[in-house]
Amino acid sequence: MQRPSRAFALALVSLGLGFSLALAQKVEITWWHAMSGSRLKVVEAIVDEFNATHPNIQLNALYTGKYAETLTKYVAAFRTGNAPNLVQVYEVGTQTMLDSGAIIPVYEIPGMLGETWDWAQYVIPITNYYSTNGKLWSMPFNSSTAMLYYNKDLFKKAGLDPEKPPTTWKEVEEYGKKLVESGVVDHALSFGWPGWIFEQMFAYHNQLFADHENGRNGRAEKVLFNGPFGQMVLETWARLAKEKVFLYGGPEYSANTAFVSGQIAMLIQSTSSLAGIEKGASFEVGTTFLPRFEGYPRGNSVIGGGSLWVTKGQSKEELAAVWAFLKFLAKKEIAVKWHKGTGYFPTINAAVQELLNEGWFSKDQNYLTAFLQILSGRRDTPAATGVRLGPFVQIREIERAAIEKAVSGVLSPKAALDEAAQKANQLLKQYNELH
Amino acid sequence: MQDERFPGHPLLPYLLILPSVAVIVVFLIVPFAQSVWGSFFVTSPFGTKTIYVGLRNYLELFQSSDYLKSVIVTVYFSAFVVVIGLGASLAIALLLNQKIQGVGFYQIALIWTYALSPAVAGTIWALLFAPATGLVPYLVGRIIPGYTLNWMTNGSLALLVVSAAATWKMLGYNIVFFLAGLQNIPEELLDAARVDGAGPWLTFRHITFPLLSPTTTFLLFMNMLYAFFQVFGLIDIMTQGGPGDATNLLVYNLYRDAFIHLQSGRADAQSVIIFVIIAVAATFQLRAATKKAAYAR
Repeated sequence: MQRPSRAFALALVSLGLGFSLALAQKVEITWWHAMSGSRLKVVEAIVDEFNATHPNIQLNALYTGKYAETLTKYVAAFRTGNAPNLVQVYEVGTQTMLDSGAIIPVYEIPGMLGETWDWAQYVIPITNYYSTNGKLWSMPFNSSTAMLYYNKDLFKKAGLDPEKPPTTWKEVEEYGKKLVESGVVDHALSFGWPGWIFEQMFAYHNQLFADHENGRNGRAEKVLFNGPFGQMVLETWARLAKEKVFLYGGPEYSANTAFVSGQIAMLIQSTSSLAGIEKGASFEVGTTFLPRFEGYPRGNSVIGGGSLWVTKGQSKEELAAVWAFLKFLAKKEIAVKWHKGTGYFPTINAAVQELLNEGWFSKDQNYLTAFLQILSGRRDTPAATGVRLGPFVQIREIERAAIEKAVSGVLSPKAALDEAAQKANQLLKQYNELH
Repeated sequence: MQDERFPGHPLLPYLLILPSVAVIVVFLIVPFAQSVWGSFFVTSPFGTKTIYVGLRNYLELFQSSDYLKSVIVTVYFSAFVVVIGLGASLAIALLLNQKIQGVGFYQIALIWTYALSPAVAGTIWALLFAPATGLVPYLVGRIIPGYTLNWMTNGSLALLVVSAAATWKMLGYNIVFFLAGLQNIPEELLDAARVDGAGPWLTFRHITFPLLSPTTTFLLFMNMLYAFFQVFGLIDIMTQGGPGDATNLLVYNLYRDAFIHLQSGRADAQSVIIFVIIAVAATFQLRAATKKAAYAR
């Protein structure tokens, strides 16, 4: 009995050795992301293709919960020395990551590996958002912005031209009243991500949201959103709510149902909802640029979504593997696949050209709307690029609370914004004390 | 009763309780001590910088009108869950304790809410009250033309809806215990009362309710713990603390500061505060209740 078992053990050991030898040649890297649902499938397809075409690399992509959960887990993992090689972080976490001391800026990676890389191949308004002093710190991955969706059928029913969506807030109000008065809908407009839409209005009209050039020329110490412009925006929204044109629809995506089911005729929402809305709607969906306030300068709409950050302290082989994946994401076909599968922006200029050539945009112009919006906006001012704040997550919640108080009439727009600004400034002070 | 010596080695009992003690120490006492320690510091999210701030985290919380509002909201919420929840559960349990046909069906129909996950319960209620598409706003709009019931902007309504949803979800649990308690009441006592000419109310007031008091005490305690600690999922699904912090319960505020805002020191201080509140409330409740509760001997 003893002999065979010894032989068996020997066989096992040699087998194990063989395995570990094979593994030694393969570099294993881990990526934590927050893409769920239909997006997860696209991520998995891309990762599979990467692994298949890179036999020396094993990339393990893990869904680690929503954005906030992924960041929390990353923080915990980093503090215990178990951080993944690559992590996806939402745009509001950008300053936190910049201050983390946990990452290698992506612009340094090619140099570290003795390579060069053409940074101009990325779509500029997107890379601008994640750049500091003109250098890219994290790799744009899933980028979106906000636009206006409208229900063409309801527009027709109310006697409005379905090919002439509102371009200004004045028109939104006018059309909205018409829609409500004609009895087609009880309310005309709603939106998702209220705090983000509020920020959009600042960038879209080239207004600074915080000091130190929107926190892009040093850490922001004071928010500016309670000035005349912010008051004007919130007064408009509160008035629209009073006139029953605007129905406050809650945070994130909760207003989408109302739009898809035809209870409201206009929705301001992230472009990343486009695929879902078109799938769910039984009417013709129209999209257009965000409405403007007349008499204010032009800026640009802000990029939202997430980007990829590279953890510092990894071996050169691992870093090379991570870089190989980031380069893989910049391949034309992959960027096209990502855009088509999710509705997020293609981040590579060549991919945009490819999409144009194959007529993708003329098949469904709605995919082009937001893209034209960011490309036609200005990109040379910090105000138009969007704000960067340390405690951004909290400040966006504070904005949301202020909007809720103002549109429900609990506080006047000015009082709500002043209260919010005071809280935000307090948070900025605490943040700066620690960094 | 006489003291009976545990058989075997005198140290054996200690050895046998060691696993439980170890679990309590590792999973409860050590983390709690860490929370108390951590509450005296502020730390950057990635732990790159830590500053000792003494009691500043506590002072800031007590000076913050938002935190005080959160305390008030929590008191209102837990009072609703405990008082309305226990009252309704007891009433339903009394009805279910009748000898009627198909009572098993009714029992299951009223108990199953406990089997729902907070996420499902929250989604059901959120859909019912969805401003533009929900059933309740639709009905209200029909009854009062031109009025829009929107709990996304109406703070007191949101708090009411969240409280009702939390109470509803706990009904099943309460009913099960009340039913068990009711069925343990000796039939003879009720018969004797009836013979003495007591009506249903007097019987309930002087026999059923006092004999139920151990169950009631237990449920009072469990419901309070539930209202303080276990409603996070419901809030996260339904309102995320909004509108304008109207449903920002203490435990939700703590979660946000710890896991979304990454302010561990502030969150530690909050967990200590909640611990003190619960400890004080529990002590009072247990004292008052054990004095009054009639335990069958």
